Amino acid sequence: MEKISFHDQIARNKRNSVFLMIFIIAFAVLLGFMIGEIYDPSIAILFIIVAGVMGFAQISYSYYNGDKMILNITHARPANTNDVKEKHLENVVEGLAIAAGIKAPKVYVIDSEEMNAFATGRAPENSSVAITTGLLNKLNREELEGVIAHELSHVRNYDIRFATFIAIGVGLIAILSYMFMRSMWFGGGRHDSRDRGNGGLIIIIGLILAIVAPILVRLIQMAISRQREYLADASSAQLTRYPAGLASALAKIKTVNKGNMDVPEAISHLFFVDPTKTYLDSLYATHPPIEKRIEILKSM
Amino acid sequence: MVDIIWWVILGVIAVVALILAYFYNRIIVLANRISNAWSQIDVQLKKRTDLVPNLVESVKGYMKHEKSVFEMVTKARENMMKAGTVQEKAKANNMMTNALKTIFALAENYPILKANENFLMLQEELSGIENKIAYARQFYNDSVLEFNNMVTTVPGVWFANIMGKQSKPYFEVTESERKPVKVSF
Repeated sequence: MEKISFHDQIARNKRNSVFLMIFIIAFAVLLGFMIGEIYDPSIAILFIIVAGVMGFAQISYSYYNGDKMILNITHARPANTNDVKEKHLENVVEGLAIAAGIKAPKVYVIDSEEMNAFATGRAPENSSVAITTGLLNKLNREELEGVIAHELSHVRNYDIRFATFIAIGVGLIAILSYMFMRSMWFGGGRHDSRDRGNGGLIIIIGLILAIVAPILVRLIQMAISRQREYLADASSAQLTRYPAGLASALAKIKTVNKGNMDVPEAISHLFFVDPTKTYLDSLYATHPPIEKRIEILKSM
Repeated sequence: MVDIIWWVILGVIAVVALILAYFYNRIIVLANRISNAWSQIDVQLKKRTDLVPNLVESVKGYMKHEKSVFEMVTKARENMMKAGTVQEKAKANNMMTNALKTIFALAENYPILKANENFLMLQEELSGIENKIAYARQFYNDSVLEFNNMVTTVPGVWFANIMGKQSKPYFEVTESERKPVKVSF
């Protein structure tokens, strides 16, 4: 039973990654077309081609470098293996990778008092995990193992590929929508010379898209990542055979974390717990409530 | 009419061939996973065997009165290097685990040793390997369980007989390993 759902999850993640890729490119092409229509309909095809090529180039670049970009943004550095603590971390990662039957990811450390962790990459063979020094210093071995096992199950299930794509999608669509809005201001003056019959309609559709798409992608980001956190918690317990370790790590994190990490919204869903405090309702939260996660772990 | 019968026969043969291929591949895949899992254990066992002389070297100067524990470690290391089968290695592994636990327990009495950077690093390295062995064993035993289920239940058992595959042994933890180690002073 367990095995089937875990293979299903991998297939689902790979499929969703492709859908998301197509969605982003289609969105770029559509906005390109609309910007073209507003500026000069006779060369709209040119805008479409440029937007399509740019979207595709951006996606391919992100596919291979998304993980490095994310590690860069979060100021993660490779673990220092001459330090006993960080060597310990590396050992824990390698040990659990053996238990999960995957190649050990590269280990990174983020110098921060906040307790958090994330994993990224496009496949288990070239993945990375990053852990804050706060987490490393305040957790004991069982707790650390629980958190690392949680991250490794994201790696094994290919959650990392989809999550990395989502991060890029959220950023990219926000930028594209912004560009579209700007083009409306600049293109606004030229309308008098041509017939407005369908130009007006296109602008309205474009506007709606530019407003709705970023929200839509954010909603996907929220909904999907919440559900995955529960799944990764369960897989973590399966790997360590000790759900109490992860539960106690979560309890510690709840009392220590201030939720003030310097992390862009677009990548907050990658983290073990929400890196920034959100005061919005649960629809907008990227993570399930910590109490709920602890409760489920304790019932295992 | 004759045509249809031929198609039906062809269809049945195709389905049977697919089923055969599925079970054949499944057994092979599971067997490969076990050998992969086993090599994971083996790598860690070897790493530890290689590190032991370093450990002995670094603590010998401090723990002059603990001759017996060094003999224990040396003996465990010899057994480990001689061991060939899964059961032998499991046994030697248990002995080594106990010997190392004893050394680290005794080291608690030597504050100078516990302040030694080199020793701390070795200790971390060895306990890291210890955990990796435990996890590799978990992965190995899970793989063996899945394989054994496959080759001992119907219909896998028919294929296993034709392919000459038998149940594989688990990497056992003995009772002595589960108990806390007694240290006498």
